[in-house]
Amino acid sequence: MQLCTPTSVDLSNSEATSSSGFMGTSRISTNHKYGISSCDAGSTFMERGVKNKQDFMDLDISTREKLAHVRDCKTGSSGIPVKLVTNLFNLDFPQDWQLYQYHVTYLPDLASRRLRIALLYSHSKLSDKAKAFDGAMLFLSQKLEEKVTELSSETQRGETVKMTITLKRELPSSSPICIQVFNIIFRKILKKLSMYQIGRNFYNPSEPMEIPQHKLSLWPGFAISVSYFESKLLFGADVSYKVLRNETVLEFMTALCHRTGLSCFTQTCEKQLIGLIVLTRYNNRTYRIDDIDWSVRPTHTFQKRDGTEITYVDYYKQQYDIIISDLNQPILVSLLKKKRNDDSGAWLAHLIPELCFLTGLTEQATSDFQLMKAVAEKTRLTPLGRQQRLARLVDNLQRNTNARFELETWGLHFGSQISLTGRVVPSEKILMQDHICQPVSAADWSKDIRTCKSLSAQSLNTWLILCSDRTEYVANSFLNCLRKVGDSMGFNVDYPKIIKVQENPAAFVRAVQHHVDPDVQLVMCILPSNQKTYYDSIKKYLTLDCPVPSQCVLARTLNKQGMMMSIATKIAMQMTCKLGGELWAVEIPLKSLMVVGIDVCKDALSKDVMVVGCVASVNPGITRWFSRCILQRTTTDVADCLKVFMTGALNKWYKYNHDLPARIIVYRAGVGDGQLKTLIEYEVPQLLISVAESSSNARLSVIVVRKKCMPRFFTEMNRTVQNPPLGTIVDSEATRHKWYDFYLISQVAGRGTVSPTYYNVIYDDNSLKPDHMQRLTFKLCHLYYNWPGLISVPAPCQYAHKLTFLVAQSIHKEPSLELANFLFYL
Amino acid sequence: VEEICNSVVDGNFEEVPRETVIKFKPPLYRQRYQFVKNLVEQHEPKKVADLGCGDTSLLRLLKVNPCIEFLVGVDINEDKLRWRGDTLAPLMGDYLKPRDLNLTITLYHGSVVERDSRLLGFDLITCIELIEHLDSGDLARFPEVVFGYLSPSMIVISTPNSEFNPLFPSVTLRDSDHKFEWTRMEFQTWALYVANRYDYSVEFTGVGEPPAGAENVGYCTQIGIFRKNGGKAMESCVSEQHDQHVYKAVFTTSYPSLQQERFFKLVLVNEVSQQVESLRVSHLPRQKKQDGEWDDTPKDSQASSPCFGPVFTEVEKAKIENSPKPFCVGDKFFVPLQRLLAYPKLNRLCANEEMMRSGIADSIPLSSDGSAVVADLRDYSDEQF
Repeated sequence: MQLCTPTSVDLSNSEATSSSGFMGTSRISTNHKYGISSCDAGSTFMERGVKNKQDFMDLDISTREKLAHVRDCKTGSSGIPVKLVTNLFNLDFPQDWQLYQYHVTYLPDLASRRLRIALLYSHSKLSDKAKAFDGAMLFLSQKLEEKVTELSSETQRGETVKMTITLKRELPSSSPICIQVFNIIFRKILKKLSMYQIGRNFYNPSEPMEIPQHKLSLWPGFAISVSYFESKLLFGADVSYKVLRNETVLEFMTALCHRTGLSCFTQTCEKQLIGLIVLTRYNNRTYRIDDIDWSVRPTHTFQKRDGTEITYVDYYKQQYDIIISDLNQPILVSLLKKKRNDDSGAWLAHLIPELCFLTGLTEQATSDFQLMKAVAEKTRLTPLGRQQRLARLVDNLQRNTNARFELETWGLHFGSQISLTGRVVPSEKILMQDHICQPVSAADWSKDIRTCKSLSAQSLNTWLILCSDRTEYVANSFLNCLRKVGDSMGFNVDYPKIIKVQENPAAFVRAVQHHVDPDVQLVMCILPSNQKTYYDSIKKYLTLDCPVPSQCVLARTLNKQGMMMSIATKIAMQMTCKLGGELWAVEIPLKSLMVVGIDVCKDALSKDVMVVGCVASVNPGITRWFSRCILQRTTTDVADCLKVFMTGALNKWYKYNHDLPARIIVYRAGVGDGQLKTLIEYEVPQLLISVAESSSNARLSVIVVRKKCMPRFFTEMNRTVQNPPLGTIVDSEATRHKWYDFYLISQVAGRGTVSPTYYNVIYDDNSLKPDHMQRLTFKLCHLYYNWPGLISVPAPCQYAHKLTFLVAQSIHKEPSLELANFLFYL
Repeated sequence: VEEICNSVVDGNFEEVPRETVIKFKPPLYRQRYQFVKNLVEQHEPKKVADLGCGDTSLLRLLKVNPCIEFLVGVDINEDKLRWRGDTLAPLMGDYLKPRDLNLTITLYHGSVVERDSRLLGFDLITCIELIEHLDSGDLARFPEVVFGYLSPSMIVISTPNSEFNPLFPSVTLRDSDHKFEWTRMEFQTWALYVANRYDYSVEFTGVGEPPAGAENVGYCTQIGIFRKNGGKAMESCVSEQHDQHVYKAVFTTSYPSLQQERFFKLVLVNEVSQQVESLRVSHLPRQKKQDGEWDDTPKDSQASSPCFGPVFTEVEKAKIENSPKPFCVGDKFFVPLQRLLAYPKLNRLCANEEMMRSGIADSIPLSSDGSAVVADLRDYSDEQF
C-alpha cells in the first residue's frame, strides 16, 4: 500500500476548506451542477497533499545501506568538538505507544465525505477519543475493544446508517503514516494557538510588521514539522515570515495606468498580471489570473448556479455585504481546474479586481534591491531572537490548555530542546600566485589578498567600452581605476576603444553588432538604467549570435563616491575570470579529482522549460571550469542532458590533462521535494554510463545539496546563543538514519542567523572517509571567484546556479559552446 | 443522494425527504437564514446570539454584516461546534481589509434552558428550528430563560408547521429528534402566551411558500418575531446581575478592525501612500517612446487619469480642486495633508489633519512643519516602464 494517500492528508484541512463553501462565487459555467464551489479549493489542497506526500516519499528512500563504507558509521571525527543547541524538540510518548488505523464503511453508502465525517464525529462511542478521520480512514490512539465495531447512527431525517469500523493496522510511532498523523495533530494544535495557517506554516496575524512604502505586511510565524531523525521522532520549528501585499489588483492597475498612459495600458497590464495568483478577500481563496475581460463591467450580469441572472454588484452585496465602489473596472478571468471524475468541462471564475489582493512578490519586486533590503531588515533575527521566539512557542504549546489537552488525548508529551555535538574543521589557506595566505576571517579575505597576484590572468588588449554621452566621464575615471587595481592583481588592462551610443537598448545592440570583430576579447557596457532590456539584449547577442565575454555595469554603480576602488577590484576579478584566468586556489589532497556542480531552474518566459546548468572542473587544482547550459522539457530529460554534458567535460579534461580523472564528485542542487527517487533511478545511472562510455575508470560520488532545511544550530555561550563558527559540521542526531548526510556551516550571517547547508551523499564509489568527504566539501566552498570568501555551497554549485539564472532570466537559449571554457556568466 | 449531500455539505441536515415532491428554491434552510440576515440588515443589532447554532452555518452568514460587534453561538453538541467552529476565525482578507467595527465571535457549549449571564443584554437572539427539539420539561423552562432572564430586544423563533406535512409523502415528524411539530394555531397560542407573560409583542410570518392549490396550509416553516415592549434591553441591569457562567466557551475569536490602532494605522498608511504615489506619478514628466527625449511639461492630471479608478461626485471633485495642491521643491514631492483629507476614502478614515498626522507620522516622511507628506519625485520603479 502507498505510504499515504492524498485523502489522508486532507484530514488536516477538511475542516478549513469548507468555509463559505455554499456561498459560491461568481462562476460562469457551461454546466450547472451542485458542489462546484468546492472544486478549486479541493484541487489546491490536493496539491498540498501531493507535496506532503513527496516529502515522505523522499524520507522512505534508503541510500545508506548500499554504501558499505558508511553502513556502520557515517560520522567524522576530525576537528574541534562544539556543543550546539538546535531548533528540534523531543516528543515523548509511552514506550508501547501505537496508532490504530481503521477503515470505516457506511451502509447505505454515503457519497458525501462531510456527511460521513459528521455521522462518525457525532457518535457517542468516539466522542471523547482523540481521532483523525478523513471520511474513510480513521486513526485512533486507543484501540477499540473489537477488531470490527458496528455502530449505527441516524441522519437528522431519520435514516439509519450503519458504520462498520474495521481495524486495518497497528502502527509504531516510527511508521511514515504515523509521522503524517503527528503532523496533522500539530497543525490542529497550532490552530488552537490562534495561529493562521498558510500552506504548511503558521502565522500570527495579530502582530504584523508593515513596510508601507512597498505596500507589504509581514506576518511572523513558524514552519513546523514532525519527523523521524537519526534515532527518534522530533518536532522542529523555525521562524518564518509571510509576506502579504496590501494592494488590490485594482490599485495595481490604476497605478500602472498612471505610469504607462492609456495607449499601451491594456497590453502592459495583461503582461504584468496574467499568471499572477490573487487572493479574494471575501472567501480567502486564491486564483490564478488567466485573462482580463475588458468588455465586462461590475454592472453587467452573469448567470448564477440556479440559472438566475444577477449583476456582480448585486451579487457581492447580497452574498458578502460588499459594495463594489468602482463600476468601470474590468473583470479578471480565472480558469478553474477540473474536479476529479468530472468531465463537465472547464470552469471560469470571474473576479472583481477591487476584491482581489495580489500575493507573493513579483520578479520585479524581488529584483528591487531597496524592497528586498527592507524585507530583510524586518525579518532578520539574531540567534538569540530566534531562540526566544522558539521558547515562546514552546511555552505556548505547554501552557495553552486546549493545546495541552489535544496532546494529552493522543498520549503525547512535549519534551526538551535537543542539543548535540558538532565539529569545527580547520580553516583553509588561500593559495595565490606567489603567496600563501591564511585569512583573518574565512568569511572575506579581500583585504588579505589585496597585494597578492592572481594565479593566472590573460592580458586584456583588445576590448570595447560602450557608454553614452552622459556616462563618458565616469567611464574614463573608472578605466583608470581598473588599470590600477588590475596592475596590482597581475591583470594587464590596455586602453579600450570607447564607443559612444544613444541611451536606448537598440542603440547598444547595434553598436555591439557593428564594432565586435573576432579579435575583441571583451565588451564592457556602461548601462544608463537598470531597465532589463538593456542587459538582456546585450547578453543575448554576446552569448548566442556573437560569443564574446561581456561585462555590464550600471552607470549608477560607478557614480558611488569613495567606492570606486573596491568596485573596480570586484570588476577586475570578474573580467579576469571571464577571460579564462584563475584567481586563487585551496589545497586539494586528492589528485586527479573532477568536481561537478549541477543546478536546475525554470525558464522565466516559458515555465515548462527547465534550464539545466552544469559546471565541471577541468584541472586537478580545481581552478578552471567547463560550463554548459542545456534546456529541457521534463525532469526525466535532465538525466539525458547530463550524459551529453559529462561526455563533453571528460573530453575537456582529457584535452588538458592527457588522462581521465580518477574520481568524479557531483554536487547536485535544485532538487525538489520528492525528486530523490528520480535522481537515484535516472540521473545516477546516466552519470555512470557516461563515465563508462568515455572508457574511464573514474569512481563517482553524487551529493544532493540543499540550502533550505529545517534544522538550525546555535552555540551557547555566556547565557546567550550565537551562530556556530565557520566550518561547523553536524553529522549526528539531526541527520536521517537512512541517509549518508551531514550539515555544514560555510557562510556568515552578518546580523542574522546562519542556515546550515544540507548534504546528502546518495551515491559514493569513491568511498572517501566521511571526514574527507566533509572537508573536501568545505574546501570547495572557498572557490567561488565572484566572492573572496566562503560561500554557502560548493563553488561548482554556485557557478551552475549563476549560469542557469542568466539563461533563465535573460537568454532563454543555450549559450554558445565557444564560451564554455570561460566563467562568462559571472 | 444529491439532495442529502447538498444539504449536509452546506452544514445542514435538511428535513425534506428523498422522494420529495416539493422542492424549495432556494432550499428551505437557506430561506430561513436569509430571513434572519434580512432582519439583521433591517434592524442593525450590535449583539446577536444564535441558540442551537449547530455547525455555525448561520453565524458564518451573519459575520459579514458590518453592524454586528458580538456574535455568539450556543449548542449542546460540542463536537459539532468544534468541528467547524474554527472556520469562523478571521480570514487573510479580514486582516488586509479590516472591518470598521470590532467583532468578537464566541461559541459556547451548553443548553438553552440554562442561564448564563454572558448572554445578557443582546439585541437579537435567534432560535432557528430549535424548540421542536426540546422535551416538555425543557420547553416549559425555555421561555423563562430566554424571555425572562436573557430578555433581549428581539427574539426570532422558527419551527415546522405541521399543517404542511401532509404535502410530504408518508411523514409524521420531519426529524426523528423532533419532540413535536405544531400547527399554526398551536405555535401562535404558545407564542402569544409567552409574549404576553414576558411583555413582548409578537408578529407571525414564515418561509417556504406552499404550492399552488394548497395555500391554506401556510408556510412550511413558521416564524415568530418577538419584540420587547419598551424597546431596548436595559444594559444597565446587566452589570448588577450576578455573574453566572455555566456555559463552556469552546471557541472565541476577535476580528481586526479600524477601531484597533494597529489596523487603523495600517489602513491609513496604505491609503495615504497610495494616494501620494498616484499624485506623484501623474506629476512626473513623461518619457517619449520614440527617441528617448524628455517631455518636461507635466501632464494635466485630468488627461492622464485612467479609464477607471474612483469616480467622484461633483461635490467631492470641487472639494479636491479647492484643497491645497501638491508641489515640488527640487527633487522632493510634497502633498499637503489637507489635500489628502479632501479625498473621500481618506476623509472617511480621518476626521482632521491632526488625526492623519499622528496616524502616519511613524511610517511616512513628513515635511518639517508636519503639514505635508514628502516623497522622492523620482523612484527606482519609474525606470521599469
